[in-house]
Amino acid sequence: MAELEARGIPTVGVATTEFIEGAKAQAKSLGTDPALVFIPHPVQDRTNDELRQLADEHFDAIVKLLVK
Amino acid sequence: MSTLPEDGLVAVVKRDCPTCVMTAPVLGELARRAGIIVYSQDDPSFPDTVALRESDLGLDMSHRLKIEIVPTLIRLEGGREVARTYGWDRAEWERLSGLSDLGRDLPASQPGCGARNIEPGTFERLKVRFNETGLKSRRIEIGGDEDEQEAMFARGWSDGLPLVPPIEERVLRMLDGTGRDPQEVIGLVPPALAAATVEKIAVNAVMAGCKPEYLPVVLAAVEAVLDESFAMHGVLATTMFVGPVVIVNGAVRRRIGMNAKGNALGQGNRANSSIGRALQLVIRNIGEGRPQEVDRATLGNPGKLGYCFAEDEEGSSWEPLSVERGMKPGASAVTVFAGFGLQGVVDQKSRDPESLVRSFAESLKAVHNVKIAPACDALIVVCPEHERTFRDAGWSKARLYEELYRLCEIPGDELVAGARGIAEGGPASLAGKTVNKFRPGGLLIVRAGGDAGMFSGIIGGWSASGGHGSVPVTREVKL
Repeated sequence: MAELEARGIPTVGVATTEFIEGAKAQAKSLGTDPALVFIPHPVQDRTNDELRQLADEHFDAIVKLLVK
Repeated sequence: MSTLPEDGLVAVVKRDCPTCVMTAPVLGELARRAGIIVYSQDDPSFPDTVALRESDLGLDMSHRLKIEIVPTLIRLEGGREVARTYGWDRAEWERLSGLSDLGRDLPASQPGCGARNIEPGTFERLKVRFNETGLKSRRIEIGGDEDEQEAMFARGWSDGLPLVPPIEERVLRMLDGTGRDPQEVIGLVPPALAAATVEKIAVNAVMAGCKPEYLPVVLAAVEAVLDESFAMHGVLATTMFVGPVVIVNGAVRRRIGMNAKGNALGQGNRANSSIGRALQLVIRNIGEGRPQEVDRATLGNPGKLGYCFAEDEEGSSWEPLSVERGMKPGASAVTVFAGFGLQGVVDQKSRDPESLVRSFAESLKAVHNVKIAPACDALIVVCPEHERTFRDAGWSKARLYEELYRLCEIPGDELVAGARGIAEGGPASLAGKTVNKFRPGGLLIVRAGGDAGMFSGIIGGWSASGGHGSVPVTREVKL
């Protein structure tokens, strides 16, 4: 993500809540502060409709971080 | 520490040396006729033929003078060493001293003995004392009342088991196991992308319990996992089971006493266990890759403590894995594979390869889930009794790969999500097609294990196998 930002591409990471700790650890290791949106876990077993709904629910939050 | 004379003769001796004892009278002669200071490495009262004796029990002066053999005779002029000789050699001693007719009862020459200051262990201690180690790692002082083990656990260095304290002497001795520059950077270790120098890897090899002769294998394994195509970051961070599995080929296996035979994948062999462990400690302590931090493994697998074994090459009809992958026959090499666990393949009845290969294929189809294809790469560990069955029938490795792939073609209808009452599976579009359980090049075969027992194993891989994820990587072991 830091690489994409460095190339001038606004970037937001989307992950499930189970990865909040992992994201924190990785950010600490690399000394970065990435823009992240966390959605409810799990996603692996979601249907396409459920995924679309999740996307709709978090769309505004993602856009907000992209344009920051 | 005493000071050396500006001009004059200096000798370094030890009583525990027949040549030094033999030259004691000559040293006495030099003392009378020219003047000399004699340093004794082991007995301050030796030689009693010389009045100006200095004790060098601490070996400081010997270290400063870089003594390697005793007796050593040195001539100083204007505060600088201008000549030295070691052992007894009349011509040389006369040349240095400017005197003639020395030691007329002695033979013309006699070799000396090894100096105490360069004995293994002592040499490293002296380097540490003189701050000449060249080591760049942080020094960490542990309080006098602190328990070493607890201190290391508290600092988070451990994989859960006790560590060998990486004191300077041990790290120096470990670095003797390689000719590479301790400050050479092998690569950047994810997830912190911190530089792994030969020295830092040596520190972790010490902690893991490695011997110095294992270090080249550890270095090769680190080099291999840091190859971009292995995707170590993903292999670490995944929720899946995998960790790096290290397979060792070539002459190094025998040289360092690895186990390719009975219980090769289990406990009990120092090289197998500590090399695998050292690699994991590098990821933990240099890369900051730790469970429940960046490592999100749901279950992981016991191999993440360390998973390293040697291929059983001798007597096998198949070329070693490293040779299959392009290395020269006999060359020492490691192959790293993102894998987990061991799925046993029991077949005690097959007398022909056609039957035996089916046992393997049906087991392979269950890797990850019978409903998933392609699933991942897989490393097949064929035991000697099973390899014998293929060998007796004249099946080359290439033939075995071919047959396995053929038998791992699966009708898409059986894989579709919902088929066989299992929601897991592929899209409906698979119906009517066939899908192979493995991507081309996704199977690896090695031989290992004891000579009795018809029990082989499958080491499953990571679902992200291939160019978009992790591929196995082979690297030469460089001394």
